[in-house]
Amino acid sequence: MLRKKILGLLVILTLLVSVPIQAAEFPTKEVQVIIPWAAGGATDLIFRALAPHAAKHLGKAVVIVNRPGGGSAVGYTEGAKAKADGYTLTSAVTPLTILPHQVTTAYTYKDFEPVINVVSDPSMFLIRSDMPWKNLREFVDFAKKNPNMITVGNSGAGGGVHLVALAFEKAAGVKFNHIPFSGGGPSVTAILGAHINAVSVSPPEGIEHVKAGKLKIIALFAEKRLEMFPDVLTVKEQGIDFAMGMWRGLIAPKGTPADAIKKLHDAFKLGMEDPAFQKTAKDMAVNLSYLGPEAFGKLMANDHEFFGKLVKEIKK
Amino acid sequence: MFESLQHLATGFTIAGTVQNLLYCLIGAIVGTLIGVLPGIGPIAGIALLIPATFSLNPTSAIIMLAGIYYGAMYGGSTTSILLNVPGETASVITCIDGYQMAQKGRAGPALAICAIGSFIAGTIGLFGLVFLAPPLAEAALAFGPPEYFSLMIFGFIVLSNVTGTSLLKALMMATVGLIIGTIGLDPVTGDARFVFGSTYLLGGIEFVAVAIGLFGIGEVLTNVHQPQELLDQRVTVPRFRDLYPSLQDLKKSIASILRGAGIGFGVGLVPGPAPVIATYSSYMIERKISKHPEEFGKGAIEGVAGPESANNSACQSAFIPLFVLGIPFAPPTAILLGALLIHGVSPGPLLISQHPGLFWGVIASMYIGNFILLILNLPFVPLFANILRIPKKILLPLVILFCITGMYTVNNSIPDIWVMLLFGALGFLMRKWAYEGAPLLLALVLGPRLEIAFRQSLMISHGDFGIFINRPISMVFLLATVLFLIIPLIRMTLKKQRKEGGL
Repeated sequence: MLRKKILGLLVILTLLVSVPIQAAEFPTKEVQVIIPWAAGGATDLIFRALAPHAAKHLGKAVVIVNRPGGGSAVGYTEGAKAKADGYTLTSAVTPLTILPHQVTTAYTYKDFEPVINVVSDPSMFLIRSDMPWKNLREFVDFAKKNPNMITVGNSGAGGGVHLVALAFEKAAGVKFNHIPFSGGGPSVTAILGAHINAVSVSPPEGIEHVKAGKLKIIALFAEKRLEMFPDVLTVKEQGIDFAMGMWRGLIAPKGTPADAIKKLHDAFKLGMEDPAFQKTAKDMAVNLSYLGPEAFGKLMANDHEFFGKLVKEIKK
Repeated sequence: MFESLQHLATGFTIAGTVQNLLYCLIGAIVGTLIGVLPGIGPIAGIALLIPATFSLNPTSAIIMLAGIYYGAMYGGSTTSILLNVPGETASVITCIDGYQMAQKGRAGPALAICAIGSFIAGTIGLFGLVFLAPPLAEAALAFGPPEYFSLMIFGFIVLSNVTGTSLLKALMMATVGLIIGTIGLDPVTGDARFVFGSTYLLGGIEFVAVAIGLFGIGEVLTNVHQPQELLDQRVTVPRFRDLYPSLQDLKKSIASILRGAGIGFGVGLVPGPAPVIATYSSYMIERKISKHPEEFGKGAIEGVAGPESANNSACQSAFIPLFVLGIPFAPPTAILLGALLIHGVSPGPLLISQHPGLFWGVIASMYIGNFILLILNLPFVPLFANILRIPKKILLPLVILFCITGMYTVNNSIPDIWVMLLFGALGFLMRKWAYEGAPLLLALVLGPRLEIAFRQSLMISHGDFGIFINRPISMVFLLATVLFLIIPLIRMTLKKQRKEGGL
């Protein structure tokens, strides 16, 4: 008898409690963020660090899910096909606007709604400190006189830093010999061993070796100088009109309700502003760069068009 | 030398605090579990636990995460020996003789020798780390694309016929592995190759899926194919006395362990597939110098002791490029690098001087961790060995279930499971017609790296093949490969001549 009464009471209680939950707004469960690369890469680390801070403001957990494969095509395909309810986000990184030009993918950036941009890092060329080139001019002059002679490593054919190197050689009117490696680590190892002349990277790759004096920044493709190395001039300051970097943000499947996007955006923005996260980002030497949905969408559209042209030129 | 010892003593005081001992223990336990489960490897394990270390200080965090890495090397052999399921790349070779030992009721000694060998090799690796780290890291940098290519060619030719059965069949299997390795994005141009419009194939064929399929699923199918009486037959249940290696086993193994440790430590410095090359080479050498090579493939304890020691010391030396150069040569150390960054420690050439407490504390903890793992693993031997008492009709379906869930955890990918099952069927056919899986797996790992090193070298030299001969390290490897191919031919002709002369 007593057991029945308790059961009845429990049922009533559950009903009472569940009413407000049903009426509650987004989000009612945890939000997952797809990373189209294996765990441990720069993108993975940044969003793993940001997730708990954003979760604080969202009121629900933010779960990181790695879906590597296909040079990021697997993860983006899954992200684009996910239910457009705001519970599945994907990390948007520059290759999102590059890969669709190179292979047939089931998506482009247009299959997503922009949510927020979190990081924007400039790209740069590093050389060994014992190389004869003292500054950008000597480097470029040598390249002009000896086309195809300077070997420039990159972290993968058709990847971000490879295309940066191609775009820079166009801007500077030179020709390099591009050597692809299977990641930023191997390309930095190759320059340390003097197997190549220069390497195209994006922080934090190679930064510690610059600090230790083994490598130096010969070309910085940023709008402004780096805080860590205030003496290093940008290439713009030296007369070559060129700046390019890698961005990392978040996107949702096309058709995600606007109010869900706003809530996600606000929570991740507050998470970005959290002093604890700011310190982590500084330690990782990544450059936080906030953009709202509209500006982020424009950035992706611009890069999509830019890389489309560039890839076409390479394929010629 | 003296300075290093002094630093190491400081390291022990840091690693010896109650808090750090606890994290070392947690890391060792989690690592063992991850190693035992097929599929999920140290990479996924470390990545998943990084967020759990956010609130720790960097030293404790790295102590725990490093524990997972080398702990997994201890556990990795368990399923290879008991079920013929290689959990990681490093434990493929252990399947060959380890599983045969288990089938003969000697699972206990096989498991125990793995733990003992790993401990000894770990200790040797650690001394190498303490005294030789900086010069070795510099030496590792001498390996550029041409040197790497020649090393791969050497590995490819010499290690293909690792089990020594039929060179022709081994090379055939290696070719299949090479072909499978070309599926996915071209490493140089980024073009898709052999993907037939599939997004899944763009990422290439997952090595773990092929390994578990060929060995684990293939073995289950082979078992199922047996007559009912054989299936009902149980593995001989060992007496307790036989659970641990006999004095004779230890005597047989000790030299193999020491050789394995040496090979592993050297090879561990080479970027990329170090565990594979280290374990294959160790097995190859043990078989070649053994007085009774016919025992290999049928349960030779040296074939377990050598490779298992090699993968453990390779794991220790993989820390050298990480700590000295800040460059991860092995995927698990890449994740550790990420963990260092999160904790505000920038790995690089300045790490040891800027964070001596962290470096020496972690090194000392690795020694403590190896000891913990030894006393943690030995008592488990009877427990694991008893798994084989389970009747096969219950055990085999469980193994399949275990393989499927384990495979899914690697990339959370369903197609990976299909690939694994497909290679399971292939593994069954291969076993039926006596083809070896090991050369296929070797080629699958080395193939893509061989290709990229070859093309990188020629891109650097503008198409001049001289780059492979003009560089001393590269030439030595090529010369060794040629000698390896020619010497048996010369021997054969000499024999023939002698025979003819005698006639």
